Amino acid sequence: MAGWDEDPLTMAAEAARVLIADSPPEALRFASTSAYFTDRGQAGAMLDILALPRHIRTSDAANSRRAGTSALLEALLGQREEVIAAAEKRETVPGNSANLSFGDGAAAVRTGVGKGAQLLGHATITHDLVDRYSSREHPASYSYEERFIREVAIAELLLPAITAALDNAGIAAGDIAQAAVAEPAGGCWAAVSRKLGIAASNHCATLEEQAGDLGVAHPLYALGMALTAAAIGEHVLLVGFGSGVDALVFRKDGEIPGAAEMAEALSQGERLERITRFLSLTGGIEMDWGMRAEFAQKAQATVLERVGRDMAGFVGGRDSLGNVQFPKSSIPVNPALNRPEELVDVRLAEENGTIVSLTSDRLNFTPDPPFDFGLVQFANGARVLMEMVDRPPEGFTIGQEVCMRPRIKSLNRALGFRTYFWKAAPVARPQLGDA
Amino acid sequence: MASGIRDKVAIVGMGCTRFGERWDIGADGLMVEAFAEALADAGLGSEQIEAAWVGNALDDINVGNSALPAAHALRLARIPVTRVENMCATGTEALRGAAYAVASGAVDIALAIGVEKLKDTGYGGLPLRTKGVQNDLWMPYGSAPGTFAQLAHAYSARHGIDSKDLKRAMAHVSWKSHQNGAKATKAHLRKPVELDTILNAPLIADPLGVLDCCGVSDGAAAAILTTPEIARSLGIASPVTIKAIQLAASDGAEMQYGAWDGASVPTTQAAARRAYAEAGIGDPKREIDMTEVHDCFSITELVIMEDLGLSDPGRAPADILDGRYDAEGAIPCQLDGGLKCFGHPVGASGLRMAYEAYNQLLERGGERQRPNIRHALTHNLGGAPFNSVAAVAIFGRID
Repeated sequence: MAGWDEDPLTMAAEAARVLIADSPPEALRFASTSAYFTDRGQAGAMLDILALPRHIRTSDAANSRRAGTSALLEALLGQREEVIAAAEKRETVPGNSANLSFGDGAAAVRTGVGKGAQLLGHATITHDLVDRYSSREHPASYSYEERFIREVAIAELLLPAITAALDNAGIAAGDIAQAAVAEPAGGCWAAVSRKLGIAASNHCATLEEQAGDLGVAHPLYALGMALTAAAIGEHVLLVGFGSGVDALVFRKDGEIPGAAEMAEALSQGERLERITRFLSLTGGIEMDWGMRAEFAQKAQATVLERVGRDMAGFVGGRDSLGNVQFPKSSIPVNPALNRPEELVDVRLAEENGTIVSLTSDRLNFTPDPPFDFGLVQFANGARVLMEMVDRPPEGFTIGQEVCMRPRIKSLNRALGFRTYFWKAAPVARPQLGDA
Repeated sequence: MASGIRDKVAIVGMGCTRFGERWDIGADGLMVEAFAEALADAGLGSEQIEAAWVGNALDDINVGNSALPAAHALRLARIPVTRVENMCATGTEALRGAAYAVASGAVDIALAIGVEKLKDTGYGGLPLRTKGVQNDLWMPYGSAPGTFAQLAHAYSARHGIDSKDLKRAMAHVSWKSHQNGAKATKAHLRKPVELDTILNAPLIADPLGVLDCCGVSDGAAAAILTTPEIARSLGIASPVTIKAIQLAASDGAEMQYGAWDGASVPTTQAAARRAYAEAGIGDPKREIDMTEVHDCFSITELVIMEDLGLSDPGRAPADILDGRYDAEGAIPCQLDGGLKCFGHPVGASGLRMAYEAYNQLLERGGERQRPNIRHALTHNLGGAPFNSVAAVAIFGRID
C-alpha cells in the first residue's frame, strides 16, 4: 500500500520519472480508475511534476482496468515515442475482500524505436462485462459472483482475444514463454493456458501475491516482470482485462531499461505492524484527528498559475555566480548578489541532498505521525526546508543522504483539492526481509 | 555610524497582567489591565499619551487587525496608534516604535502595549493557518517545537556533545525557570518541577519533551515612555532608560543558502552585536547583570546564551549546569520564569521581559530581586531558527 501522501498521480510520476531521464517523449499518457481529480487532466499535472515541456501531448485514460494496456497499444500502433504511466490507489472498505486484495501501485512503459520488446500481434475485444464496478455513489469496488465472471471471461473474452492475438502475431500458443495476464477472477489463466497449451506461468498472479491487485497498473507492472524473466528472442503475452480484453504479443529483442528494477521493487517496503494503521492509511476507518487537524490548507489558482509549475517540478534557479536556490527570487539569496536578476531554471527533483537539520515532530498534525522535517542541502548550493518520508526504523540522521520523491503536499478535503511537492526520502528503500 | 537611542528614552511606567488561561477576560480587558497599571505607575492620565504602538502577532484570533482594537479598548482619543507585528518579537517591536517616536522628538509621551488572547482556540500551542500563498505549496507545516528542536540536533553535531548530555542541560534550563516562576505572582505556571520529571516528559518534537516547551498564554504588558528630562520633571530622580534596542531580520540565507549549520541563530548574534555597540557595552559577560530571553524552548535559551556572547561557543551546557544562569548565578536568566513559566502571550512577551528588567532595575523585584542590577538585557525571537526576527534591548538607569 502507498503512504498517506501518495495518490495515482504521484505514483505515476514516480514510475515515469526514470523513463524521461534521457529525452522527453512525444506524448505522456496517464491511466487510472482512481485518479483523485475528475476534471483536471492528470497527465498534465504529471507533466509539471516531471518538468516536461508543455508542447508534449497529454491524455488521460480512465474507467477501465485495461485503460493502461489500451493506451500502450495505441502508442505502439502509432509507432510514437510515448510514456504511458498507469497507477491505482482504490478506495476499499473493511469487510470487503478488496480491502485485503487491492494494492496501490504504478507502472510506466516507454514506447518508441529501438531494441527492447517488439509488438508482433494484438487483438482487442470490447465487451461490457460487469464483473465489478465503482461509481460516484459507490466509490468502493462492488464485485459480482466469481464463478459467473470466470466462465464468461474465459469463454467470451480471454480465449478468443488471445487466440486472435497469437494468429495476428503468427506464432503458436506454445511459443509464449512468459505471460502477464490480468484475470478478473482466480483460475482464469489456469483454464485458458491449459486450453491453449501455454506452459508459461502468469506474472500477474505473482504480482498479486506480493503487491495485491494493482488495477490499471497491474498488467503493465507484470509486463515488466515478464520481460525481465524472458530470454532474448522469447515471446511474451500481455493481457489487460476490464470492459473487454486487450491481448498483445511481444518478442524480446533486447534488455528493457528499468524492467529489472520493477521486479526488485517487490522485495522492498515496510511491513505494517498494526491493523489500525492499515485501516487509517487506506481510509478504512474515520479517525478523529483533533483540533490540530482543523486548519484549511487552501491553494489559490492564481498562485498555482504563477509558480505552481516550479513547485510541482521542484525547479529552482541558478544565479549569475553559479549558486542554485529554491524557490527562485528576484534578488538572489546569494549574499554576493544584491540586485534583481534572472535565474536559470535548475530542477532539484533528480538531485540527492544531505540532511542539515531535522526533527520528528509529534505535535503537528499528520495522518501518519511523526512529522519528520528539516533542512536539506544540495551540492549545487540549494538549501530547502523539506518534509521527510519513508522514515527508516531508526529515524533520519544529520548528514544522511536523501533522494527526492513526489508526494501530496496538502489536502483540503472540504474543497476537494490537493497540491503536490517533493519530499526527502532515504536513497534506498528498505528490504522487506522475512519478517 | 548613527548615535543610537542610548539614554534618550526613559520608561516611567509599566504594567503587566497576570498571564495564563484567562477565561475571565477578553483582549480588550487584558489591554486595559496592563495600561491601567502602567498609568498608575507613571502617575499619568491616558489623555497625556500622544502616540501608541500596539503589538499583536495573531490578529485573526480574538484581537483583530489594525490599531482600532487597542484604540477602542483604551479609548485613545484620536491620537496616532500603530499596530505592529513581527511574529514572537512583536512585543519588543512595539517598544521600539514607541521609543523611536520619543527619541526623535516626534512626541513627548508614548505608549507601547502588547497583547495576545490565544486560549480561546481550545488547545496549547499556536494555531496553523494557510492562505494559499507560494510558501504553502512547498514549505512543511512544522510546529514551533519542531522547528526549534532542530537546533538541538545541529548543536550536538557542531560541538560533538552527546544528546543525553545536552538534554540534561536543557532540562536544567526548564528546571530553573520553574523554580523562578514559582516566585512570580503573575506567572502562568507557578509550580517547581523536578529534573527527572522534565527529562522523562513525553516527546513533543525530538529531542524536546513537553517540559522543554513553553506553552502559550493570554496576557498583555505595557510601557509608557518619555524623555529623561520629562521623567525627572515627574519626580523620578534616576529613571530607567533604554540603552539600546536592536532588531535583526533574516534575509533568508539560513534557510536557503548553505553556510549555516543550524546550531545558532544568526539574527540574535547580529542584533546583540549592534545592541552592545549602541549601549556602549564592551564585555557583556561582565556588564550584563541579568537577562530575560526568548526561551520558547529549553534549547533556544541554551543557544541564545552563546549567541548573546554570554557563554563561549560550545560552553553553554556546562555554564547552565554550573548554575551561571540560575537566580543566584552570575547572570541570572528568566528571574520571572520566562516564556516557559511566566507565559507567552506572543505579542506581549517582549514587553513582559522589559517589565521584569524595569522592576529589577528599580529594585522592585520582591523575593526575586537581585542586587546590583546595572544592565538588564531582553531578547525576543520571532519565527524559527532558520528564518527569524531577533530583537535585543538593553535597559539601565541614569542619574
